[in-house]
Amino acid sequence: MEIPYTATARPDTGLYNGKLGIWLFLASEVMLFGALFSSYILLRVGAPVWPHGSELLNVPLATINTVVLISSSVTMVMSWASLMMKDFSKYRMYMGFTILLSFVFLVIKYFEYTSKFSHDIFPSTSTFYAIYFTMTGLHGLHVIGGIVVNAYLWGPGNKMWKSDPQRFTNRVEIAGLYWHFVDLVWIFLFPVLYLL
Amino acid sequence: MSLKAFHILFIALSVLLSIVLSALALYQFTLGGSGLNLVWAVTGIGSAIGLIVYGVRFLRKLRDVSFL
Amino acid sequence: MSERTKKGSGGEGTGAESAPVHHDDHHHEASFWRTYVFSTDHKVIGIQYGVTALLFLLFGFTLMMLMRWQLAYPGQAFPLQWLADLLGPDRMPDGIMLPEFYNQLGAMHGTIMVFLGVVPLAVGAFGNYVMPLQIGAPDMAFPKLNMASYWVYFAGGVTMLVSFFVPGGAANSGWTSYAPLSVIATTGQTVWLLGMVLLITSSLLGSVNFIVTIIQLRAEGLTFMRLPFFVWAQFVTSFLLLLAFPPLEAAGVLQLMDRLAGTSFFLPSGLVVSGVPLDVAGGGSPLLWQHLFWFLAHPEVYVLILPAMGIVAEVIANNTRKPLWGYKSIVYATVFLGFMSFIVWAHHMFLTGMGTTISTFFQTTTMIISVPSIVILTALLLSLWGGSIRFNTPMLFALSFLPMFGIGGLTGLPLGLAPPDIHLHDTYYVIGHFHYVVAPGTLMALFAGVYYWYPKVTGRTMNESLGKIHFWGSFIFLNGVFMPMFIQGLAGVSRRLYDGGQIYAHAQEVLYLNEVMSVSSWLLGLAQIPFIINFFMSVRKGKKAEANHWQATTLDWSATTSPPLAHGNFETVPHVHRGPYEYSVPGAKRDFLPQDQRAEA
Repeated sequence: MEIPYTATARPDTGLYNGKLGIWLFLASEVMLFGALFSSYILLRVGAPVWPHGSELLNVPLATINTVVLISSSVTMVMSWASLMMKDFSKYRMYMGFTILLSFVFLVIKYFEYTSKFSHDIFPSTSTFYAIYFTMTGLHGLHVIGGIVVNAYLWGPGNKMWKSDPQRFTNRVEIAGLYWHFVDLVWIFLFPVLYLL
Repeated sequence: MSLKAFHILFIALSVLLSIVLSALALYQFTLGGSGLNLVWAVTGIGSAIGLIVYGVRFLRKLRDVSFL
Repeated sequence: MSERTKKGSGGEGTGAESAPVHHDDHHHEASFWRTYVFSTDHKVIGIQYGVTALLFLLFGFTLMMLMRWQLAYPGQAFPLQWLADLLGPDRMPDGIMLPEFYNQLGAMHGTIMVFLGVVPLAVGAFGNYVMPLQIGAPDMAFPKLNMASYWVYFAGGVTMLVSFFVPGGAANSGWTSYAPLSVIATTGQTVWLLGMVLLITSSLLGSVNFIVTIIQLRAEGLTFMRLPFFVWAQFVTSFLLLLAFPPLEAAGVLQLMDRLAGTSFFLPSGLVVSGVPLDVAGGGSPLLWQHLFWFLAHPEVYVLILPAMGIVAEVIANNTRKPLWGYKSIVYATVFLGFMSFIVWAHHMFLTGMGTTISTFFQTTTMIISVPSIVILTALLLSLWGGSIRFNTPMLFALSFLPMFGIGGLTGLPLGLAPPDIHLHDTYYVIGHFHYVVAPGTLMALFAGVYYWYPKVTGRTMNESLGKIHFWGSFIFLNGVFMPMFIQGLAGVSRRLYDGGQIYAHAQEVLYLNEVMSVSSWLLGLAQIPFIINFFMSVRKGKKAEANHWQATTLDWSATTSPPLAHGNFETVPHVHRGPYEYSVPGAKRDFLPQDQRAEA
């Protein structure tokens, strides 16, 4: 027996299985990053002095990265919209841009990290750097996860567009939801760590 | 919530971030900061307007897609 | 998300195994590995979970039986010479247990019982096997994720076992891993943290799958208020797992950073270890760990207890041949319990000096959360009234759950109020309290579940006489182990003492109880032998069971064969016409109306 509602929505819930699944997953991700943000607040409130992020971290690079991630969200949603319009070559193009932009983000992040390391600044230096490296590092891992999924959908996974276009579009939507969440985390991380 | 709805939420929050950024820069300018702060503030406002324009065009383009 | 494609296998209801992604064309028998090891069938995965979890329960229990020797006869050589030799001089030189090894046993007993034993059995095994059958689904919504969930759990379990063999032995800072002690502990703690990350990932995969399955794959006509209570219990449990575990994952990542990258998230400034100031930046907060830990670990208590209540509800309704009393109140109480369980965590921390205002808040929420538990327990108790009860083995276990969980719950009330908690905190009273909830409570319910669903899983019944010996042995000796703990605790004996309190003057009066508890625990071990024999013998030698062996109303019994069809469960998609517990309906031909039966003319 086939498992129902893998591609089409169940009438009374209005959702296909994957969409509900990814939202539940994102709910747990909210709890994960929520706990880290709460820890940040607790540590900061408990500390006698807390440095200004803008004085220790590279704000221009982070701003560029913010622009990069917002753009990648735009290209991500465009790739999904292209599939809705049955335009597969445009999908490939936009998805390709998304992957490219995520790599740009990681490269910039790499330069940020290595310049810190070259100044003998490590997570163990202070609680501020500890939480900075932990949170951006965990976010970076999420970016890498997103790249893997998007690259699969751009490359080998796109065969499904021929066999089952509806499900393939759903998969791209699910990847898009995840990718938006990862970008949203950055939208919160950026002001909290770099500006406040 | 579909990707369409989440994208609109994401753009709205990005607009908010831009405005907060420019407000912060403006505040530092009034405290006696450099002209660079003013440039930041204007850029922030500019990107907020740009994002709003984009959001409206996006909604028009995907008029037929459900929010659910 | 990885769902299965089954293009090409057409619409047959049976047989066709979902082979790896691109080779979906073979219709015939799948390979041994695909059928029994890397199966995506929720029933096989349920059995895998069940057997693994039972083995871990036995292992965790063995650790405790070892500890009980040291507690009853501190400093005396262990009588089983070969076991002492096997454990070696690093752990038991001359047969005498080292304090370090005692601490490892304590930490790993807690971890294994909770995360590798009870939860995988209650959720992974029963939830996986029974829930899709009860809602009329062909499988879980994401079968491959389901398989991944089991194998990640397995990897987590192996990691935990491996930790015994790293230098310095396994984790030894208690199952709570309180900082800063855990941060400066031996390598075993790092392995423990890695194991926990795997277990958390596994439960995340599982809980997403459960919730999606319950919402999306219910059979036609099966509205939420027609769900068997067991399904409701799994539903709320999954939400708790989904939302409460990530903060512990965050805490685990932070502690890993502390241990591996030299950060000081949980290390305060000016920490001195063995007379030497610790060379770290400092500025962290040990209390942060406690908050993050208990934010998980309190909902975890309900993860342990809710599936057990679900099992008990099924068994009681079936064996009283009556509808559950107050089905709707139980459901609402369960949902409310789920919400409340997120805002009671700091009642584990009254003695951390967090101030009276916060204490008052958490005392209040704690008193509120006791109400829904009592609603559920009362409803189950009232369900017995006026029924002609069948006293079979599952029913005996289910019935014993009611008073045992009652004792566990009621003894918790003094701990939830700050003034008595000052006296009782960290004493054996606490140990007695939560063990009454989990061991004579949840474990008895899980045994009820094993006896109840065994005919469905294997097609054969377990032996009733052996079952009754198992029941009475377990029931008597569990109480023998845990009841004296209340007495010792009220006398002020602290938990986690290597010598069981021998050097304390105030403990002398109640010291004799250590021996009572230890002997009880070993007899409890003996009482499990009939179960083990019964469990394996009945697979081949048990009496053949009918499809609906207990004459039950729910879909798992009424609409499937025993065991249900591989991959697909049902010959035809069931259609639900009525509520879950229509027993002894006046005017009906039989004393039960299955959910998928049309109205009688």
